[in-house]
Amino acid sequence: MTWLEGAEGSAPFDAALGLRPELRDLYAAFYGKLWDEELLPASLLELCRLRVAQLHDCEAELAVRHAESGVRDAQVEALADWAGSDLFSEQEQAALTLAEKMPWQHHDLTDEEYANLNAHFGESGVVALTIGVALFDANCRLRLALGTEPAPVEAPMPASSEGPIY
Amino acid sequence: MSTKPRVSSAIPGEEASFGTALAHQPGLAGAFGMLYGTFWSKGALDHRTKEVTRMRNARVTDCGY
Repeated sequence: MTWLEGAEGSAPFDAALGLRPELRDLYAAFYGKLWDEELLPASLLELCRLRVAQLHDCEAELAVRHAESGVRDAQVEALADWAGSDLFSEQEQAALTLAEKMPWQHHDLTDEEYANLNAHFGESGVVALTIGVALFDANCRLRLALGTEPAPVEAPMPASSEGPIY
Repeated sequence: MSTKPRVSSAIPGEEASFGTALAHQPGLAGAFGMLYGTFWSKGALDHRTKEVTRMRNARVTDCGY
């Protein structure tokens, strides 16, 4: 249970961040830019977001689903064992390798894994993906530390610089 | 952990670093800079508290950078 009382009517996470409005708006702008500018496929980001949330056992992050991301239900069901599934493309597997290690094994990421990421996404894509996965990791840590309640929501997409944070 | 940069500098003539790597994505880098800069320059916490927690976080995550 959260120990913060945020703005009424907002999603719990957004309400908690809203206690510092200027930081909340800048955080939304940062997080939203990752999705708004289509730097990477939304489905790829969504898979990484959900896998990081699984690794954190973060119910509040897992309660959010982005309906327009293009991720299939079968992929979500197989996500905990993505390495043993044939439902994920080579590009998705490369990205999920990063998502798998970022929360608790970031020191174990290898140069070979980064070379594989580079082959799939190029340097600018690798930078966007690394920032994205780090933000998903940060979101879980923020939600868990602040104790924000899970609030099931089917948001079209997760955030924009002008919309709510789910 | 790698001891060499995995991403090159996006700024000609400058060595690879956190800032020059982020420069591959100038929009994201700018948004991060606004957030991080505001965190440090404004707010309810004093600088000492922020710096102590930053340094402790770096040690816990074993981040020598």
